[in-house]
Amino acid sequence: MSIFFKKLEVKRALKAFVSLCFLGSLVGLTSLIIGCKFQPDWGYNTGHSPEQPIPYSHELHVGKLGMQCQYCHNQVERSKHANIPTLQTCMNCHMQVKTDSPHIQKMREAYDAGNSIEWVRVHMLPDHVQFNHSAHISKGVNCQTCHGPIETMAVVSQQADMSMGFCINCHRQEENKASLNCTTCHH
Amino acid sequence: MSEIHHDHNEHQHDEAELAAKKAARPKIEKNQANHWLSIDQYMQDPEFQKTVDAEFMSSPLREEDAKNPWARREFLKLMGASMALSTASCIRRPVQKIVPYNKQPEEVTFGVPNFYTSTFFDGQESLGVLIKTREGRPVKLESLTNNPLNQGGTSVRAQAHILSLYDLDRLTAPKKNLFNDKRTNKDTISVTWENADTAIVDALKKGGVYVLTGNLVSPSTQAVVKDFSEGFKATHVAWEVMANDDVRKGQKASYGTDLLPFYRFDKSKMTVSIDADFLGTWIAPTVFTKQFSKTRKDFANMSRLIAFDSNYSLTGGNADVRVRIKPSQQLKVAVALAQELIVKQGKSTYAGNSDVKNWLNSFGNPSEGLNIEPALLKEIAKDLWDAKGESLVVAGGLKTQTETSLALQVVVNLLNSALENDGKTVQHRRSVTSGASNADMTSLVDAMKNKKVKTLIIHGINPAYALPAKADFLEQLKNVETVVYIGDRMNETAMWANYVLPENHSMENWGDAELVTGVYAIQQPAIKPMYDTQSMQITLMNWCFQAKVGPKRIQEFESYYDYLRNFWKTEIFPKHGKGSSFDKNWQDLLQTGSIGDVDGSDSARSFSVSGLTDLKKPTVTEGWEIVLYPTLQLGDGMGSQANIGWIHELPDPITKAVWDNYASISIAAADKLKVKEGSLIEITVGKDKMELPVLIQPGLQDDVIAIAVGYGRTYVGSVGNGIGKNSYELVQTNDKGQILYSGTKADVKVTGKKYEIAHTQTHHSMEGRQIVVEATLKEYQTKKDHIIHKHPIWSVWSGHAYNGHKWGMAIDLNSCTGCSACMTACQSENNIPVVGKKYVMQGREMHWIRIDRYYTGNPTDAHAVFQPIMCQHCDNAPCETVCPVLATVHSSEGLNEMVYNRCVGTRYCSNNCPYKVRRFNWFNYAKKITSPGNMALNPDVGVRVRGVMEKCTFCVQRIKEGKNNAKLANRPLKDGEIKTACQTSCPTDAIVFGDMNDADSQVSKLFKNERSYALLEEWHAAPAVRYQAKIRNNGKDQIASAAHEGGH
Repeated sequence: MSIFFKKLEVKRALKAFVSLCFLGSLVGLTSLIIGCKFQPDWGYNTGHSPEQPIPYSHELHVGKLGMQCQYCHNQVERSKHANIPTLQTCMNCHMQVKTDSPHIQKMREAYDAGNSIEWVRVHMLPDHVQFNHSAHISKGVNCQTCHGPIETMAVVSQQADMSMGFCINCHRQEENKASLNCTTCHH
Repeated sequence: MSEIHHDHNEHQHDEAELAAKKAARPKIEKNQANHWLSIDQYMQDPEFQKTVDAEFMSSPLREEDAKNPWARREFLKLMGASMALSTASCIRRPVQKIVPYNKQPEEVTFGVPNFYTSTFFDGQESLGVLIKTREGRPVKLESLTNNPLNQGGTSVRAQAHILSLYDLDRLTAPKKNLFNDKRTNKDTISVTWENADTAIVDALKKGGVYVLTGNLVSPSTQAVVKDFSEGFKATHVAWEVMANDDVRKGQKASYGTDLLPFYRFDKSKMTVSIDADFLGTWIAPTVFTKQFSKTRKDFANMSRLIAFDSNYSLTGGNADVRVRIKPSQQLKVAVALAQELIVKQGKSTYAGNSDVKNWLNSFGNPSEGLNIEPALLKEIAKDLWDAKGESLVVAGGLKTQTETSLALQVVVNLLNSALENDGKTVQHRRSVTSGASNADMTSLVDAMKNKKVKTLIIHGINPAYALPAKADFLEQLKNVETVVYIGDRMNETAMWANYVLPENHSMENWGDAELVTGVYAIQQPAIKPMYDTQSMQITLMNWCFQAKVGPKRIQEFESYYDYLRNFWKTEIFPKHGKGSSFDKNWQDLLQTGSIGDVDGSDSARSFSVSGLTDLKKPTVTEGWEIVLYPTLQLGDGMGSQANIGWIHELPDPITKAVWDNYASISIAAADKLKVKEGSLIEITVGKDKMELPVLIQPGLQDDVIAIAVGYGRTYVGSVGNGIGKNSYELVQTNDKGQILYSGTKADVKVTGKKYEIAHTQTHHSMEGRQIVVEATLKEYQTKKDHIIHKHPIWSVWSGHAYNGHKWGMAIDLNSCTGCSACMTACQSENNIPVVGKKYVMQGREMHWIRIDRYYTGNPTDAHAVFQPIMCQHCDNAPCETVCPVLATVHSSEGLNEMVYNRCVGTRYCSNNCPYKVRRFNWFNYAKKITSPGNMALNPDVGVRVRGVMEKCTFCVQRIKEGKNNAKLANRPLKDGEIKTACQTSCPTDAIVFGDMNDADSQVSKLFKNERSYALLEEWHAAPAVRYQAKIRNNGKDQIASAAHEGGH
């Protein structure tokens, strides 16, 4: 009798467990779908704005002083990378400008010692993606299209989510005549 | 209460189960560590044993497992915690830093490669190349089309050269070996350059200095060595395994000049090769392949190649007529040809010469016992005469290093002189690799024996490995007080040197090369020396400077670069430069990479008939004969190439075996011995014995045992140690001190043991399908496109629309010689991993392009045909329809795309691919790549992880680069602007890539060629790769068994 009872109990427990699992997964799935719907940047780095070793301000240099992006990112038109400027580029002006600032002094020390500054990367594409800056610049795509209003940013933060959907949205516009082949980006 | 009790039971049960499981695990036998993975295991470290017993090193259960049965619950708890953590903190992946330059180097643009003209030289062949660098590090060797010799062609070893730069086993600082009195034991310690230099200069001042080098192709290095020898009264000795001194001796005997001539296969309409593997390994194979392929493209004037072959060489495989011989028959073949031409047919100015006639007739009937029909001999002699002045007879290489090697060379010279080839196809220019000599090595060993050598400086070469013990080199080396080795690693020779000085890699070093007399090339460095190394030249210059000896120029320059520039300024530009401005000449040289050309002919020399009489005649030999041959991929194997995975994983072009050497014997020989493939046989030559596995090779003479040299290295590095057997141990010397590589008598014993040889191609039949189309020249000229069997094709597919580009590739099988440079180039370009012998045996090799070799005709006398196969980029791709996750899709430009991110590894695509070109990553091969090997990776191509499929992409990164360059320059893409990696590496221009939507493109035209066909066309996968049929100029009406038998 007791054995039978025990068996029954086990069965009931099993049933409860299975239904719990089912319910749980249902709740999980729903929240995932809702999450994706209302928080589409889940898993992406939108808004990422790390602290940099030197608080360089795009707002000041680009927004207020009106410097061209290509003054510093000078290889962007001929390379896949938008290069981070060498210390020499910074020192072109900062030999004279604001030499009393401790940050500039830090940079100057590094420059004189032949060292570099380790900037923290802000924009990062997902893995296995190849992106070519020069191809986009030559087509007349603005820097701001992907990087947001960079001229207003005292601290750079990632604006677009840099997801595949973000790229494809532009590539799909017929007027852009962009390729939709997988190997355009993935190889 | 009962619940607790229940749990307790479970607890006990778990414990018992665990103990049972542990008991069932295989035990490591503590004292039988025959195969060991690491030094810890070998030394039976107790800590290591613990980790072995724990089975999973990284398991979160490991620590808890033994003492706490609650581990599983703990694990779940941990899992819960980490899940919570990961959802809270998944905002940002690992922080990456960007570190810009301090000052911008003028020439570097991030992400854009720079190319430097340079020269590749590995002791045997010198090629003009471009070094592609990214952000200051070399990533690939590219073709340099304006080099007058190789004209863009590269070789397997040139393509693999990049890995020797990033070789983990390179020496990084100078070393000193401390020996016991008898030099039987040693201890290696580090030493500074200063201390080493001081000690060596002291030793040098004592006199008795010898410098032992390999071939020195560089004129300025020759000058440095000459200056050094002058300063220290040193003797310079040059030695290589492939010294080719038989050719030089023959030239001296026949014409009075010691010369390794430069052969012009591009001017030869009729070539006869007697064991000279000029397409694979002889003198300058890449240059010769380029030359040879040029004579094969115009079918109205197609050249003919007859090869007498004692192993199955690449030259034999590409010959129109291949005749199998054994080494002792080489001279007979040459004499039979000379007899037929001069005596029987009475041709040439030597026909009336009674000395020549008598000597030739003294052989009786030399063609007796040869496998040659008299009619064929007659035809060959007639063809040679018809093409006189435009024909060529060659013999040479390790296969001809027999007792009669000199006689063979002299008869070959007689033939060339009789055919009026001398000065035309045999140019009187010194060839790339002349200088080294076996005789000089013998005299060096004698000098060591007589204790005349006090200090020996060895540069680069490895005689302790490549000379047989009988040559006595190592034993006599013990008589030398100070041995200095200058090289890139601690190898078999360096380990017996007192000082081992690390040398710059050629890509870290300036240099130059005299490719042939009058053609000079520059070797530019492409990277700063990675370690504490310096060039051999500056080392010698330093010693002269410290001892204050030698001419002014060796003492006054602070760097070899300055010496080199001065050398060009004073020695080369005045003779060969244009105008008087050094700077202009120098800049031009750096741009083009070379000066001088090879055109022009020389006047014929007079052949010395008196040299004939005292030649050794062949002794009739019966029974087994040894043939030692260098392989195309490894060469003599004594350098750093033996430590490169790409080279070992490259299938031998003929046998398709990898990671081994073996004894090739004919089918009949195998039947006679009653052995199968992989049976171990014991080969005895003289007093030397060696056990080797059998490889049954169609088309071998039945008495021949052919063995590759270059294997069995013991001190080359982690990749190359212990691969195959060192067959140099079978090399014999005769009483005259001549080194005999081939033609020596052997005995064979069957051991009954087995060994497994790894092949990449085990199926050699075309199953009656039209895979390689082959026709004779006559057949092609009469039938034209009817040599290709056409199938009625219908389709269920609607087809793709290609509005922009449509990429296609044409491969000319008639040009392809199977040299395999494309395979290594592809491996370098596309970051293709090496998997090793074990996995090749399981069919898991990763090459995106392979070269299939089929045999046609009678198996005993089989012909080889080569066919490069890569992804065919089908329009109706069978792989695309079966992928459940759309990881392989069709692009709007006709590419069959492989998207690694999407691939889940079902491998359906590979199953459904009729061409079997897809490769699956069974393991995380990329993880095996350690620093500095990762620097050889192409940054434009991703590395693939475990579980994804990969295959040829048509070098999509190059397509993108080409398109983008055109776009940036605002111009349309030009035909031929985009070249795939295989295409640029090819020395025969067999591969053409381009846009099929452009009717004028080269590839479009080739697609319409009447020799053009696609693989398995009847299945209508509609490949974007088309092949052009192979044409054999053998004078026959039909290829014996290549007829298409398959139905529709």
